[in-house]
Amino acid sequence: MTRIGRIKRILIYLFLSVLSVSSAFSSKNFPADTITDYYEVETIQMPKGLTAETDGLAIMPDGRIVAGFHRGEIMMYNPKTKTWKLFAEGIHDPLGIMAVSNSEILVMQRPELTRIKDTNGDGVADEYLTVTDDFGLSGNYHEFAFGPVKDKQGNLFIALNCASNGAGIFPEVRGKLDTLGRPGRMYSAVPYRGWIMKLTPDGKLHPYASGFRSPNSIGFDANGNLFASDNQGDWLGTSKLYHVQEGKHYGHPASLLWKEGFPHLTPIKLPVKMLDSLRTIESVAFPHSRIADSPTQPVLDNTGGKFGPFAGKMLVGEMNHPYLVRLMLETVDGHIQGACAPFLVGSGLRKGNNRLAFAADGSLWIGQTDHGWAGDRGIQHVRWKGKVPLELADMKLTPTGFALTFTQPLDAVTAKQVANFQFKRYYYEYHEAYGSKQFDVQPVAVSKAELSADGKTVTLKLSELKAGYIYELELGKLRSTTQQNLLNHLVCYTLNRLQRNTQANP
Amino acid sequence: MEKSKIVPGFMRLRFCRNETRLVEKAVNVLFFLYFSLMRKYAVVVLFVALCGLKIPIALAQDTTLTIRAIEGLKYDVPRFVVRPGTRVHLTLDNYDDMAHNLVVTLPNSRLRVVNTSLALGDQAVKLNYVPRTPDVVAHTATVDPGKSEKISFVLSQEGIYSYVCTYPGHGFVMYGVIYVTRRPATLPPLDKDPNVAANRKDDMADHAGHMPDHPYELKYPTVYRTFMPDSGPASIAVGLTPKQAYCWDAGACRLRYAWTGGFIDQSDHWDGNGKKPTHVVGDVYFRDQGGFPIRFGTADRLPEVHFKGYKLINRYPEFRYTVNGIEVREMIKPLPTGRGLVRHFSLGAVSGPVYFACKSGDGVKYRPSVGKIQDGLVRLPVGTRNFTITMTAE
Repeated sequence: MTRIGRIKRILIYLFLSVLSVSSAFSSKNFPADTITDYYEVETIQMPKGLTAETDGLAIMPDGRIVAGFHRGEIMMYNPKTKTWKLFAEGIHDPLGIMAVSNSEILVMQRPELTRIKDTNGDGVADEYLTVTDDFGLSGNYHEFAFGPVKDKQGNLFIALNCASNGAGIFPEVRGKLDTLGRPGRMYSAVPYRGWIMKLTPDGKLHPYASGFRSPNSIGFDANGNLFASDNQGDWLGTSKLYHVQEGKHYGHPASLLWKEGFPHLTPIKLPVKMLDSLRTIESVAFPHSRIADSPTQPVLDNTGGKFGPFAGKMLVGEMNHPYLVRLMLETVDGHIQGACAPFLVGSGLRKGNNRLAFAADGSLWIGQTDHGWAGDRGIQHVRWKGKVPLELADMKLTPTGFALTFTQPLDAVTAKQVANFQFKRYYYEYHEAYGSKQFDVQPVAVSKAELSADGKTVTLKLSELKAGYIYELELGKLRSTTQQNLLNHLVCYTLNRLQRNTQANP
Repeated sequence: MEKSKIVPGFMRLRFCRNETRLVEKAVNVLFFLYFSLMRKYAVVVLFVALCGLKIPIALAQDTTLTIRAIEGLKYDVPRFVVRPGTRVHLTLDNYDDMAHNLVVTLPNSRLRVVNTSLALGDQAVKLNYVPRTPDVVAHTATVDPGKSEKISFVLSQEGIYSYVCTYPGHGFVMYGVIYVTRRPATLPPLDKDPNVAANRKDDMADHAGHMPDHPYELKYPTVYRTFMPDSGPASIAVGLTPKQAYCWDAGACRLRYAWTGGFIDQSDHWDGNGKKPTHVVGDVYFRDQGGFPIRFGTADRLPEVHFKGYKLINRYPEFRYTVNGIEVREMIKPLPTGRGLVRHFSLGAVSGPVYFACKSGDGVKYRPSVGKIQDGLVRLPVGTRNFTITMTAE
């Protein structure tokens, strides 16, 4: 015992001395260059007794945070007083919330989109009116519903998850049951599972786009383009982000059963080649386990710079990693494609990042859940501290390679070393089986790295550029002229199309 | 060689909420008895205890067990015990809706293996997410939902081994512990075992009944939209009092059944991914047989209905729906005394006759505030905008 005690003491001493040496070292010789120097993450104290599986989250006009939880509670958090108040109860999985006014919200729950309102001013909702329930419900647990998001014309969009063969359906369903929709791992036996729907201001719900498996969730970019993330599984070799356009089909076949004019048959029984030809491919593929296992809500950084140097671009939540994913999109040959990179790694962010909402002060609120899968529970609040980290700000395809723009001017010596830009490329196969391995994995040599006059943009010439591949780039130890180190080194660009008519994506 | 009989314990564990502790205690006693006997005979023995529910016994250095991967990133077996030198024939049976593997790791190496597996990059799928390190004793391939795979391995040295799913994102949550020991009586109780996965200990804690449902005391009347049995999937459970309740189907816009003696138990539905429906607590005294009750024009034609939501009035929901385009409001209150319901209806302007179907044989006696029941129908006097149907349990 005494010997163990002595060893323990020695170890503790060693540990402490290493700590003190390293901290002294870092403070004297290095500038701030960990993510916590740039962003701070606050963990919100949740109400006692709450099972904080955060399904939905939004910001009220007066700055309160409204959050919906798995057991049906809708609660308001006042960030000034740090207090919680119950607003509504009894909601069936409130996976999406949109604030309408300080007394009214729209809630996407499992059976319907509901307008929930406090009509007598006591701070508690008393009116739960159905906005639309004009879609099928089979009783399968996997038929989640996401959204709503609103476009500039006042249309609302919602996304309807497919059912899972992890369970069956109820003896009674809502909507028309079609047993041709039952086969398959994720299935669509009632309309319009696997669809994104558009609710026009006249209250009518229209099928908008098909081919989704588990679209948790949807959001607009700065130009009003609608995006949906979808989860790796059957027909999805890896998780994806789609640019959703009316009438298009995005690849998970189950939903085709409900497409007008489509032959009445079980879609997954069609030849893969035919199904492949029907689909519109993703804007971004998130390489599984490298970037994201289960991407969630795309959200636009509309803070105008209050959240750091990535304003105007989108973030996507991620369930299985303790970080978010940052997007760098552009339009190439008429189609949106681009890059994704981990963001806020090491910041203290937890996993389960299901819902994201920017507050008026430019801070980001994140609702977290696990729902029986990987994740965490609760709410975290991320603030930018005002200093600009060294990060890749944008990645654009050129006729011969990529142009990487950084947030700070780079140290010219390291920036021009081609060894600091290690590319490989691969693709995921479109097939019925769950997930896909990476096919045709090849390193791609960088023959030249040129630095722009302002030191911020490195233009890379690659030995080969091939459409239909993900280009995964591992950045080396790049530094800024301000002696900051690059925080994140991994970025993956989904190269669907080669540049014919590249234009900047504002 | 006798194969141990294994009973997958998870399903039982989840349903026997209050019994878990008792069973655990009983099993500890059995462990002790069993081992004191076996030591006496100095036979090399092994045993496997699954969830503390069953003690399979084999008088040889082989044992066979099945571990299920189940919903919620869990193995149904939180831990098991073997004697050193035991050959374990282990089947991973994937009951979940996502892929899993099972990797047996040396003592104190589970996290190292998980972290190494996350760094496998493009090799990951080919390697079944299993790093080639000496920390790995044995492993399955990636087992797809509904599939199973058997592996065999020997654990010679005493120690606390792990089995873990290294499928990306699972490893920090989904694991179990193998005690290789000659002294199983020294094991900590299951719910206090630091080596058991946290999500399995949550199960134990839930079973002890300490967790409240909400961050507030439930007030009645109370409304829950949830998956109710014997109703459509868009149903609403309303607790009028802690002992009186009904189920209203928001798809079909009608009362489906009513019960007394309790409200609902949502713990199964709230658990994991929510596969299981909510349970009714109490005795159902009324179950609608007649379909949607309001008929316009002719008594035998079912109208088209659309649900429009509800307003809470003194916490009672007043349902709104349209019947052939005519707005209807319905509020249901408990009978002041006895078992039964009072249903208040308000109708929009209707031209032509209005009927209300109240067939007998569904458990209640009907009493309309206006009109008379004839052949299971009330014909409402022309111009009736408000009426009450009182339902008293037979």
